[in-house]
Amino acid sequence: MNAGRGIVWSWALFLPLAVFLLLMMSSAQVYAEVPNAVPPKGDHKGEDVPQPIEFPHDIHAKINEINCMYCHTYARRSKVAGIPPTSKCMGCHSVIATDKPRIQKLTEYWEKREPPPWNKVHDVPDYVHFTHEKHLKRFVFDNEELPVERVSEVCAFCHGEVKNMTVAHKVKPLTMGFCVRCHEANKGPSDCWKCHK
Amino acid sequence: MSGNEINRRDFLKVMGWSGAGVALAGCDMPTTVTLEEGKEKVTSYVLPEEYVIPGVGVYYASTCQQCPAGCGIHGRVREGRFLKVEGNPDAPLNHGKVCQMGQAGVQGHYNPDRITKPLIRKGGALVEASWDEAMDLIKQNVGAESTLKGERFAWVTGTVSGHQAVLLQSHLDAMGSTNHFAHEIVNNAVSQAVNREMLGEAQPAYRIDEARLIVSFGADLLGASQSPVHFTTQYAKFREAPRGVLVQVESKMTLTGANADLWLAVRPGTEGVLALGLANALLVKHKRDAADLPADVRDVIAKYDHDTVQRITGVAGDRIVKVAAWLNSQSPSLVLAGGSAEGQAHGYDTAAAVMLLNIILGNIGRTIVSSGDLPFAQMEAKSGNTAGLLALADTLDKGGLDAVFVYNTNPVYTAPSHLNLAEKLSAVPFKVVFAQFPDETAMRADVVLPIHSPYEDWGTHVAGYYGNQISIQQPLMEPLNPTTRGFGDLLLGMLKMRGVAGYADFEDYYGYIRQAVAALPAEMKADAGSEDKYWQQVLQRGLIPVQRKPRSLTAKAIAVSLPDYAQDSEYPYHLVPSPRLGMWDGRYANIPWLQEAPDQISKVVWDSWAEMHPLTAQKLGVMEGDVIKITSDQGAIEAAVYIYKGIHPDAIAVPLGQGHEKEFSRYAKDRGVNPLKILSPVREAKTGELALYGTRVKLAKAGRNEALVKLGGTDQQMGRKLVATVTADVFRRTEGGQDVA
Amino acid sequence: MSLKNILENWSNYRRDREAGGHHEYEHMWGMAIDLNKCIGCNACAVACYAENNLAIVGKEKMTKKQGMHWMRIERYWGEPDLDKLSQSSSQYQEHGANFLPMMCQQCNAATCEPVCPVAATFHTPDGLNAQVYNRCIGSRYCSNNCPYRLRYFNFYSYYESSWPAPLHLQLNPDLSVRDKGVMEKCTFCIQRIRVAKDKARMEDRVEKEAAVIKVGDSTFRAAAGRGKLEDMEFQTACQQTCPTGAIVFGDMLNPESQVRKLWDGHQVSLGKTKQTKQNPEKRGYRVFEALNTDPCVMYMERVREV
Repeated sequence: MNAGRGIVWSWALFLPLAVFLLLMMSSAQVYAEVPNAVPPKGDHKGEDVPQPIEFPHDIHAKINEINCMYCHTYARRSKVAGIPPTSKCMGCHSVIATDKPRIQKLTEYWEKREPPPWNKVHDVPDYVHFTHEKHLKRFVFDNEELPVERVSEVCAFCHGEVKNMTVAHKVKPLTMGFCVRCHEANKGPSDCWKCHK
Repeated sequence: MSGNEINRRDFLKVMGWSGAGVALAGCDMPTTVTLEEGKEKVTSYVLPEEYVIPGVGVYYASTCQQCPAGCGIHGRVREGRFLKVEGNPDAPLNHGKVCQMGQAGVQGHYNPDRITKPLIRKGGALVEASWDEAMDLIKQNVGAESTLKGERFAWVTGTVSGHQAVLLQSHLDAMGSTNHFAHEIVNNAVSQAVNREMLGEAQPAYRIDEARLIVSFGADLLGASQSPVHFTTQYAKFREAPRGVLVQVESKMTLTGANADLWLAVRPGTEGVLALGLANALLVKHKRDAADLPADVRDVIAKYDHDTVQRITGVAGDRIVKVAAWLNSQSPSLVLAGGSAEGQAHGYDTAAAVMLLNIILGNIGRTIVSSGDLPFAQMEAKSGNTAGLLALADTLDKGGLDAVFVYNTNPVYTAPSHLNLAEKLSAVPFKVVFAQFPDETAMRADVVLPIHSPYEDWGTHVAGYYGNQISIQQPLMEPLNPTTRGFGDLLLGMLKMRGVAGYADFEDYYGYIRQAVAALPAEMKADAGSEDKYWQQVLQRGLIPVQRKPRSLTAKAIAVSLPDYAQDSEYPYHLVPSPRLGMWDGRYANIPWLQEAPDQISKVVWDSWAEMHPLTAQKLGVMEGDVIKITSDQGAIEAAVYIYKGIHPDAIAVPLGQGHEKEFSRYAKDRGVNPLKILSPVREAKTGELALYGTRVKLAKAGRNEALVKLGGTDQQMGRKLVATVTADVFRRTEGGQDVA
Repeated sequence: MSLKNILENWSNYRRDREAGGHHEYEHMWGMAIDLNKCIGCNACAVACYAENNLAIVGKEKMTKKQGMHWMRIERYWGEPDLDKLSQSSSQYQEHGANFLPMMCQQCNAATCEPVCPVAATFHTPDGLNAQVYNRCIGSRYCSNNCPYRLRYFNFYSYYESSWPAPLHLQLNPDLSVRDKGVMEKCTFCIQRIRVAKDKARMEDRVEKEAAVIKVGDSTFRAAAGRGKLEDMEFQTACQQTCPTGAIVFGDMLNPESQVRKLWDGHQVSLGKTKQTKQNPEKRGYRVFEALNTDPCVMYMERVREV
């Protein structure tokens, strides 16, 4: 093989790659701050998932700085994070922003004693055993350098920056490769039966 | 790459590289794998449920309703769905254990053939109706304004106890009727009658765990018995070092027989003779003290010497000698009669002959002890039997009933053809069946009321055997179908409909039970603190322990009279219609797990079969799978034969369970035969019970082969060490108890 | 088995049992079944159907031996040992039946593992013989190679025929419903193991140090950070329901576990093809041990008075 041509080719490949990597690193800087953790790599452009009520995560998590686990209270105790019960919404919204159409719609559901029929955005296949509680323990509760107030940065590993979204979008692939690479980087278990059920 | 040295390990590494690379790429492509967004709904709670964390199973205590034993259970519930039954470790009845029928209850609950809407007979056919329509009809026919006369009303049920029994009795009283026919195929009514006469208590407790030797005459303790799991947990203790000895005497091997140290095949119906023969050997050969026995009893025993017993029973002499020697040396012992021994025309005398052995051996008060009386007598179990079925048929014969309510029993299926029960029942003007499934009886009703499954309903129960607690049945989940109702709620409604005083204030059955628990004596709640805390405690434990008041048992020996064995040239064989753990009396043919669970003995699945001794098979010229015709004086059934040495050559056994009508269940449809149908009209002489094992039959080849569908291949170990066996001496040497033996 | 793992720990994957096995073990789940107590009642088998989403195949497919009974009770009539002792060539089955609860023996030298072309069945750090359904391509080599015949193949899709609505609501969400073309078998209730291990981890019950643990004549390297589980903290479905308590399950690496005490008490050791017992009358044995499968299930001989 001609060595010279090889070099030319690789430079041609390297330049855009270098630019791309730099861009990636700058966009990933938010995550890089989480101590004792290597955030998973990979992105996904999720479809729009219409919800019965356009729930603004940004107002709750960014403007009002409500901790993710205030509403998703099961995340630290169960494999699932859980959607908050309607009563929790009404705890605030029986007095706050009651004039807003979205809240009025919520109140309608509440009065009918029906939960809003939310559509799932983040879903792993049924054969996957994924537990929120152990991941939170590893990255938040056992991580002395990360105060629990910053839990959203860990949530963002798999859910993206939800605090900048209205309704959540899937922005991470949540594929096996995505999981496995993170497990490798963070010394998670690699046995198939840890996750396949 | 030429010129590069590459060793094998490096090569593998490279292979690893590329292999892993491909695998990773494959995993990153969300194509065939369902990584969906927005395809599924996620439902939150409106109000958070206490104790409940999504994704984590919660266990609620309740009481199993699969058979009358009343074991304590824990139901696993996740996200509002009831998923699995486990035993309740706090229940002294079953110590956290459950049998296969208990495990399978969940498939009754979610059964696709459940009745979900009320049905009313219109123009000959049952059609769906509203609850209002159904209740209006009931009000017209049996309400306070109706013209129905008290004694012309009847309840037909399985075993009922607890507050359901209390309300049911109140309803009967309100109707002015005494007709409560309680019916179960698996019962020990004959033994209870014998116990009542000889011991002064119908259902004493058997201390299987204390016995060193058990000789069981047809009592299938571990299988179809009063409390299979309770007996089995006791059996486990019995088998620990120094290890008790179990002898089973019967003409078809039951599950208990399959676990016996010595299984004795006896000519059907001669169990009592063998019992007297053993008594004879104890008195004559082993010189047991017989001074306390009345002279007439001693005279009867004296007639059954070694040779006579050998001739009548067909049991080899050396086996009789051996069992007698064991009975003499192993103390305490326990001798029991059941199933096939009781279910004869002379079943009472057989069971009495067996009880004589206990008296001679001094077992009364040692391994047979008083169960005592429940302080709340009205809650005591009303145990079903076959006399209840026969009494119902007799009453119907006389045209004595205008309205019948049926709950938790299926007499149209279990009644022999000679009773013509389906026809007689059809002649009753108004029949209401409280049903979960469209069984044979429900399909003949005028009104079918769809009731909750036992896992959706409230109830209290007192077990007929070992009723040392009031067991609580609480709903494990919301009703699967919003249109079913609780049995207790319906009973309460019937009482209100008759305007019975004292019930109007209860909004529902839950309220009634709560009030009943609140009314319990204060000393039972001493450590709870408050009424509410006590109720929570009761729900958590699933039971309320009660102290039964023990009696002192008598040991009254009575003279028995047993027939000699009679040959029948036309019908030379004996039919053994065997109930078993699994299908029970046929009620579980609609549960697919139990259909696919093999019979413990023959390992047959999804069908009926006929068990036959190799000698009989040789005589008839049949091989396994050949279909035979079994004919009694009441009709004939056909089944493929299973040939083995666990049955007497004069007996032919057909298990209960199959032969249902097609409406009952997709899983039972067009499957097998029901041997109960061809039973002869033989009654147990003293109790009036149906002699379930008293039918003689003749056998003929049907001329075709239908290979039996069985689990596994060979019956033999072929020299492989699969199940190895050691003698009890070795066991005692290595695991203790040698000195005791 | 990730790439980095393969590169760094390659030699570990090729380590023989004699050298401590091919894992840093977390547990070594084992079982002991007392045939003196087992009455063959079938409760365990139905409990297994309920727990593990086992499909009902129906009569016709049972004819072809396609039943999915991960736990089955085999029943044998012949009993050569006793016939010799009691000289009873009776015309009756005088000593009853011989029942044998048979499920995956979780062999430490499993014959199914090396023949899988896609590594869908492999040994886990829990000493279990795992079956990963997503990986399985249905070659059925494993079941052909299993001397115990306890791997079950999904010749059909059963999710519609076996669980018509609303029966499907009973399905246990903790494990998959297997589809056509996939092999399955007893997992020692991996979903229960997983819950218990997760719980231990959440409660910081972990062994900080690595260790070398001797089980009988075998040596196992135990990993640091493995969960510290109480004996009987959880039970398998069959064990939990067994009315006689004939089934004992637990961690062989835990010297205090009931199962380990039973193995030691009956002088049965892992890693052997023939047991050398000090007292040959002890009842413990392993089925087909001579085939060098090294099963993790020990049986205790049935007992009869003769």
